[in-house]
Amino acid sequence: MHSLPSGNLRVLQVTPNTTISLGKYGSFPTNLIIERPYHLTYELLDKRPNETFNRLRVVPPAELYADIFSSDTTTTPTPEDATPAPDAEGADNALPTDIEYSLVDSDSGAVVAITDRAEIAASARQTLTLKEIEALKKDGIDAGRELIAKLMLSHTAIDQKTEYSLAKYKLLKTRKYIRRFSILPLDIPLLNHWTLEDKDPSKILDMREEMVALVGCWANVHFGGEDPCEAAQPAVKIKPEEAEAMEIGEEAAETVDTSVPGRWLVIDDTGGFLVAAMADRMGILYPPEADHTNTEDQQQHEAKPNHADSSSGNQPSSKEGEGAAESRTEKSEDIERKPEPEQGTKPSSPQTTRKRPRREDTIPYAHANTITHIHANAQPNLSFLRYYGFDVINPFHTPSHPLAKHLMALSWLQLLEPELDPTYSSAVPNAMPEEIYSWKTNRRSTFHRKRKRWLRTRHIIDTTREGGFTGLVVASTMDPISIMRACVPLLAGGAPIAIYSPTIEPLTELADCYSLPRRAAWASNLPEELLGKSASEQENFPGNEDFPVNPSLILGASIQTSRIRKWQVLPGRTHPLMTGRGGAEGYIFTAWRVRPAEGKVEARGNIRSRKARKVDVVESEGQGQSEIPNTK
Amino acid sequence: MSTVSPFLDPGPLTTPGALALVHLSRDNVVPVYLKNDSGNTVDGYTEGSVINTRFGSFPHSTLIGQPWGSQIRASIVDTGSRGRKRKLGNVVDTDTTGNDTEAVASSTSNPRDVRTAPTGFVHILPPTPEIWTSSLPHRTQVVYTPDYSYILHRIRARPGTQLIEAGSGSGSFTHAATRAVYNGYPKSSEDKKGKVWSFEFNHDRFLKMREEVQDHHLNGLVQVTHRDVYNDGFLLDNQSPGAECIFLDVPAPWQALPHLSRRIPTPSQLASCGLEPLNDTSDNWVSPLRADQTVHICTFSPCIEQVTKTVEVMRRLGWMEIEMVEVAQRRINVLREKVGLNMPLERGANQSPRNVMEAVTRLKQIDSRFKENHKSRLDTDVNMETLMLKTATRNRMALLTMRQRILIQAIHLHQSPGWLDD
Repeated sequence: MHSLPSGNLRVLQVTPNTTISLGKYGSFPTNLIIERPYHLTYELLDKRPNETFNRLRVVPPAELYADIFSSDTTTTPTPEDATPAPDAEGADNALPTDIEYSLVDSDSGAVVAITDRAEIAASARQTLTLKEIEALKKDGIDAGRELIAKLMLSHTAIDQKTEYSLAKYKLLKTRKYIRRFSILPLDIPLLNHWTLEDKDPSKILDMREEMVALVGCWANVHFGGEDPCEAAQPAVKIKPEEAEAMEIGEEAAETVDTSVPGRWLVIDDTGGFLVAAMADRMGILYPPEADHTNTEDQQQHEAKPNHADSSSGNQPSSKEGEGAAESRTEKSEDIERKPEPEQGTKPSSPQTTRKRPRREDTIPYAHANTITHIHANAQPNLSFLRYYGFDVINPFHTPSHPLAKHLMALSWLQLLEPELDPTYSSAVPNAMPEEIYSWKTNRRSTFHRKRKRWLRTRHIIDTTREGGFTGLVVASTMDPISIMRACVPLLAGGAPIAIYSPTIEPLTELADCYSLPRRAAWASNLPEELLGKSASEQENFPGNEDFPVNPSLILGASIQTSRIRKWQVLPGRTHPLMTGRGGAEGYIFTAWRVRPAEGKVEARGNIRSRKARKVDVVESEGQGQSEIPNTK
Repeated sequence: MSTVSPFLDPGPLTTPGALALVHLSRDNVVPVYLKNDSGNTVDGYTEGSVINTRFGSFPHSTLIGQPWGSQIRASIVDTGSRGRKRKLGNVVDTDTTGNDTEAVASSTSNPRDVRTAPTGFVHILPPTPEIWTSSLPHRTQVVYTPDYSYILHRIRARPGTQLIEAGSGSGSFTHAATRAVYNGYPKSSEDKKGKVWSFEFNHDRFLKMREEVQDHHLNGLVQVTHRDVYNDGFLLDNQSPGAECIFLDVPAPWQALPHLSRRIPTPSQLASCGLEPLNDTSDNWVSPLRADQTVHICTFSPCIEQVTKTVEVMRRLGWMEIEMVEVAQRRINVLREKVGLNMPLERGANQSPRNVMEAVTRLKQIDSRFKENHKSRLDTDVNMETLMLKTATRNRMALLTMRQRILIQAIHLHQSPGWLDD
């Protein structure tokens, strides 16, 4: 992802031996930025006479902050501040920056004309014509600084500007003309920022960073433990097919009864953004190469799948990177370059997966640290995962990606009425080995594919319907009540629930279903159709007019929202930024799944204490309910 | 597997020794370390350890071995006599105590004997950093969930990262950070896993934090160090934690910042920040930061002056993309408002017309009554006093039967004589 001086972001894949165009700012060869750290600010240098490309210069922080430091010196001219130390870092390639200072005159404190009332029309006072600016841009040298200097010099009213408006004017012109950019990794916060600001915020239901973070925390999404089967094996390198064969998995599950593997249920109508964010929290978002570099985002984004995008009318990137293989080799070199202590901790290195022999009974899914995604359409829409090298339609094209093993998707139909699913309801494709060997390759592979698909579908549906999930995360356009009705019985006791909604209305309706009076009414008079029914039947209560859902399965239903406000922190000019984006506010419903005690529960309060009894009497008179003291 | 922290993997059932959070009501959650001592008399209770709440008493034996999230009924526990008994025992003689314990032992041998009390119930929840934050014993100002969730998101705390935290405080951030970086327990000293390097200046809080880490089975995931980070930096035995994320919750973050540099800050840099030169001026400067990765930092300060100072020093020390944000959280309470003229009179009900139609209907009613009354007053030559008496009695009776509608009529009836005079 590129961050341009104009504040715009562009997503593109960096492929070796190509050129990246920055539109009006120019272009540069990709090889200049590959294998360099992220977040550096580069400046496009002028073409050298005998070269066909622009070289780049890394701009040291001291130079980037020069304006701030110098304005600081004008306001508080202390002897220490007067000598900032730009020479400390990157002195070898730092260009002289005194051109700027001589123009702005701020380092000498000579900014004059402090009149706020003078109406300054910047456009009218600029004596440089558009043509001249264009010409300057064309043969402009020194990364546009000369142009900016000329612009400011030829501004007739420059001496009428206040210090603040001068700074603003310079910033405006700098943004427009300076040829600087930086390379950022496309991690979840940045992807989020980019989608909200430059792409289509409604695609991710206006989900801001603080909301994503809050949902993940309240749903307690974290690394859910190693696969119990894998963990049981002493060797680090084990063949996945052995560990994951279903029968072995069942045996292992019996032995490790003190541990519950982390399995999260995610309902995602944000095109996979929520799934990606949760996968990031669980450590399964980045391919194993990234894992070897200790899950940090240093290099793997250069392997972003073929996707180039331009924002806010910028030119599309010149590269539709088709060299995925190339960048892959690039990365492996990179890994070799870095000594890495934890290589080989993940058993699923690409090599072992590729060498996996054909064995039909293999279930290619992990038993721990998994995400189960329920989708409303026939196919899951998880297109954001493409940015992280995972193709959800053909997950087995990228077998080394952790999501291939840890992400399971099924439709609502498959969850609620699996007998209607053709794959699930059909008999397992079976044939004798001799018979298979007699077939042609074509037919054989079809048979294996079908059988694998059957096993996969069967595994996903059966494990999901079994329930016992460790948490539920929802960001959906569907009615949350209907989601809760279907999903709450699948959760383990104590499992947290976090539901995001861009608007509050669906959530208030949901919270009302679990309100205090409703819970109390449920406890005192159970709906007639449930009298004498077992606990599991009560859990799967389909709802009626009075009780849309079984309210006793949920504890601590509450709604919250959080919003961040950015501030500008400059010497003497610290204030909240007024450029926050609008859009939906976003709300989060949180609760825990609980297991109600069987039979009638009385809650009269503590009758030993006279005081408590008094309180109790008042409450039971007011509400006529038994559960009041507790549910308040 | 039992050594896995209940915060990270609570298991399917509550187990002895584990931390459980007993949910009494919203905003009232009590942390409890479950003790399996039902055979012994603890603190005068024959049932072993007991939690006493306003919803009754809960012996630990009734809370152990239950699926998480279970609703637990209160038990009948003799809370009243235990203090008295002990006092009596002290006063009378020591010989009887032996008999007492025998009797006690026979009555407590089976925890299932505990009878349920009708006083109430609690829910027992597995610990998560969120519930822990709302229930933890405060030692300092707490970093709450909206703050720490956003911070951890922004500093890119993912499974496997090394995170420095300065100022453990009450430990809410420590727990959340541990969950964020957790990717398994290190199996050996070479096995590098995500870890929180926590530093605390206050000795009491440090001891408490270390105890908490022990109790919560977070050994190997959290390293608590008693340290003045302003002067002594972040190295442990001159070894770098190799941090990728840093969170500073200290009063003067700028004093700790010079230690968090990749290269030793030059004296001129420090002088421009208004800071003293570092104590360690030797050549072998070891940076606590991870050398080959981007490092994200967050400082947490309540005052704007602290922020401006921190930002200035950060800029001088070469931190990039500095952003200052303020997090505002709101909790929303959903209540059903009962508005309408025919609502039963109860708490929370608002007896005013629900809509215009209802208002008009009522006004018409009032109007017709008024006319009726007016007519009767004119037709029958009734003495004023009797009428007043009549209305008053009618009024009172009505109040007893149909409270709310009559209240409005009463106003009307009392006023009507006055209007008539006009």
